[in-house]
Amino acid sequence: MRRTGAWRAATAVIAFAAVSVQAGPPTKIALTGGRIVPVVGPEIEKGTILIEHGKITAVGASVELPFDAMEVDVSGKVLFPGLVNAHDWQGLDIPNENLDIGAALDVYDAIDPSRLFFENSLRDGVTTVHIIQANNCVIGGISRVVRPIGLDVDEMTVRPRAGVKMSASPKGGYDRMTQWAILREAFAELADYRERLAEQRYEEEQKKLKKDVDVGPAEARKRGAELIRPQDYDDAHANLHELSQGRLDAWVYVGAATDVGPAVKFAKENGFFDRVVFVLGPDTFKAVDELKAAGRPVVLDVNLDFRERDPLTGKLSETFVPKVIADAGLTFALLPHPDASLAERYLTYQAARCIREGVARETALAAITINPAKMLGLGDTLGSLEVGKAGNIVVYGGDPLDFNTWVEQVYIDGILAYDRAKDVRIRRLLEEPGAEEKPKEPAGDSAASDQTQQGDKPEAGEGAPDPAKPENKGENKPDSPAPPKPSPGPGDDEASVERASDRADRAESRRRKDNPRSKGGPDA
Amino acid sequence: MIRQPAKGNRRQAADGRQQARGKTRRVATATLVGALALLTGVSRAEEPPKLAFVVGKVLVMDKADTVINNAVVLVSGGRIEKVGKANEMAIPQGYRRIDLPRHWIVPGFVDCHNHTAGSLSDLNDMVYLTNPGLDTLNTVQPESDDMWMARAGGVTTVLLIPGSGTNISGFGTISKTAGQSVSDVVVRSPGSIKVAQAGNPERYWWGVGRMFMNFNTRQTLEKAQAYHEAWEKFERGETTEKPAFDPIFDGFRGLFRKEFVASVHTQIYQVVMTTVDMLARKMDLRTVLDHSEFDGWKVAPLIREALAAGRSIYTIQGPRAYHLDGTQRKIHGNAARWWQAGNPLLGINTDAPVVAQEQLPFQAAMGCYYGWVPYEGIKGLTRIPAEALLLDDQIGTIEAGKQAEFGVWTGDPLDTRSACEMTVIGGRIVYDANVRRRW
Repeated sequence: MRRTGAWRAATAVIAFAAVSVQAGPPTKIALTGGRIVPVVGPEIEKGTILIEHGKITAVGASVELPFDAMEVDVSGKVLFPGLVNAHDWQGLDIPNENLDIGAALDVYDAIDPSRLFFENSLRDGVTTVHIIQANNCVIGGISRVVRPIGLDVDEMTVRPRAGVKMSASPKGGYDRMTQWAILREAFAELADYRERLAEQRYEEEQKKLKKDVDVGPAEARKRGAELIRPQDYDDAHANLHELSQGRLDAWVYVGAATDVGPAVKFAKENGFFDRVVFVLGPDTFKAVDELKAAGRPVVLDVNLDFRERDPLTGKLSETFVPKVIADAGLTFALLPHPDASLAERYLTYQAARCIREGVARETALAAITINPAKMLGLGDTLGSLEVGKAGNIVVYGGDPLDFNTWVEQVYIDGILAYDRAKDVRIRRLLEEPGAEEKPKEPAGDSAASDQTQQGDKPEAGEGAPDPAKPENKGENKPDSPAPPKPSPGPGDDEASVERASDRADRAESRRRKDNPRSKGGPDA
Repeated sequence: MIRQPAKGNRRQAADGRQQARGKTRRVATATLVGALALLTGVSRAEEPPKLAFVVGKVLVMDKADTVINNAVVLVSGGRIEKVGKANEMAIPQGYRRIDLPRHWIVPGFVDCHNHTAGSLSDLNDMVYLTNPGLDTLNTVQPESDDMWMARAGGVTTVLLIPGSGTNISGFGTISKTAGQSVSDVVVRSPGSIKVAQAGNPERYWWGVGRMFMNFNTRQTLEKAQAYHEAWEKFERGETTEKPAFDPIFDGFRGLFRKEFVASVHTQIYQVVMTTVDMLARKMDLRTVLDHSEFDGWKVAPLIREALAAGRSIYTIQGPRAYHLDGTQRKIHGNAARWWQAGNPLLGINTDAPVVAQEQLPFQAAMGCYYGWVPYEGIKGLTRIPAEALLLDDQIGTIEAGKQAEFGVWTGDPLDTRSACEMTVIGGRIVYDANVRRRW
């Protein structure tokens, strides 16, 4: 099963990232010779990380390798834990449903594995994404932690039901009074629902025992309270009930400083304070004392600088928010900017800015790795390079926070999920015009216009014939009862489909033909 | 550069036709049906005739991919009696001999996605986001112009389904393209339940997203399933508590007994993925993926896996034959991509009136134009959709014992120059170009 998962994940990488993986991922990989920045624990100048069956089994300056481990020499590179994106709605079709109380909803139904967002996440070294409804909501629904690889949501999933999204700040079109009225109403209605359920359950049980309902409604509700089974709740109430019992995490958007107090009070009143993560707006840091008193972890706004002009003097003041939060001793996570054209898109850039503004390096690094992992309840399995954790490793060309550094490779659960050498999009974007390999066949660019001729196959006349179906190049055969056989590995199959459809991919396939490693050997 | 069907015009034309039709129909439906009955001269009371077709080629479309050249097809009692080589088979007495020595006999085409076998003005009843109680049986219109056109194109069986305005829009009806009354034409009701996974129901209310739609669709189907299971339990005698009859969910029992299919409006990777996951994989329903356009073909590995696990998924692609991929600057033939990705159960639809019902073979030709395989194209009009709709014991091939339901073509039906000269349904000639010519 594990192996199937790995195969499929590798397939998915190809399908969406246009990155080619030839063989199934080896079960044991040793990354040797690189500088290890484990985030938790001291750095190792030159060391080895061993991944077995997707998990890290050894980290150290000298590690004895099992005979069957594939060794990948990463001398001169830096090994860093896979980054964790603590809070993002991208990957869904829309940020929120038009519904005030969406407690029954789950992002499971809307995550689109084919979104470019996931491919970009990989490219930026992010191995874990918390997909959650956006802030413009009252109760948004249930969120999910995923890895950016996989053909379907189940395969992507790291942690289902990661939390309930709520907002303590008014949804668009509402004011604060309406927002709070709806929130209060949701939980008041839950209490009422529970009472009615209790009464109903008591009556059911009495009926089963062939006894009369001999007590009044108040007493019946009291007696029926313990008779309620989990399956008696409908989806919406089940989730809110779990939340109110402290069995589900809450991610509460607190968009302004003024909302912190009510949010803390509300969380305490409704039983989920111990499991709340506050998602801050641009100026929420002004309530830092209240946040500090609450002591709950926070996710910072993507804009780290808060600027404000004094209305009387016109004086511009600037506050670097992470510094304020870090000085208060709060556990915090940084977010990538949703605009992919901004430098803030990179979590490493966000962390680097923190260091410039005086936040300790280890604090800044933790804010993009172990802190969000802990907030997501995955502190034991993600967020650092330690024995027992998932083999989520980013291989950087240099220091992760140096902006001249590239993500060279990304491993997720020991699967080589991204390899910059095979990233055709990056190459296409960065190569100077003309530096690209010239297509060998003159047909190359005119392939599309050739298709106007009847009977011409889309793949005919292109650089990469479909290896699965060489006979398909010629005339249409009158008789072909079976579909083309999928090639040996699903990876090959997908790759062929994808490759046949992109000019840059064709160049890639030619390059790989010359590469002896591509003959089916492990990627190491 | 690329010739494409004038879809916009087609739709406008259909709309115009519809408006004009609306007026006349309301007044004269009964008269029309009566008149047509006289015109066609077909009466249910009459025994279907005994016919002997002597033709140049018979595409049997069976699993052995048999092709019989210079063949005879004997038809009697509404069924195919015998098929064989002309020189090995004598034509018995009493058979009307039809000599068309250069023509092809091809099984009648089956369209799994049709809206024109019923009244188009009743296409969508968008009361709720899911409308499980609605049924297209109430909209069936036998002997319309559209149905005459359909059989003139060799199309003999269609699945009439409601529109995709809501996530569950009602039951489909499997209907013949010839017959004078509703009971004449209807083959199976319900013939399917129409599910629109996404990509239209978004317009409901002031807008819904996939998170809510999929939740809601699943809830509705689970309610129906719970209803079915409660009755099953009662009928097996496991409980004496008789469940309350529910007219809305009672029709779904056949769906869970796998007596009919879920025909699903689905396209785009995530949406097709959800259909495969929710309906085929998790609920184990017989699933027919309609449309399946854009990058939907990338779901093929999941479908292969699900098929291997014993699930039933047919992909009946259309009406869009190709996808212009802007990021790759590339044209993908939809059917070709599905085929190359290893999806074996592939057919074609028209979504009539989006593409006219009689243009079903042209849809397959378009699929082949963009890289599909011609023989597979014909299979995708005959045996595959017949299997998809659970009709393969009755139709879909030219084999003795099956219903006599086929077209007699001047040549390869996927060659746009070919014409259907004669169409047989239920052993009767329901279209004959010598009597009233379409092409």
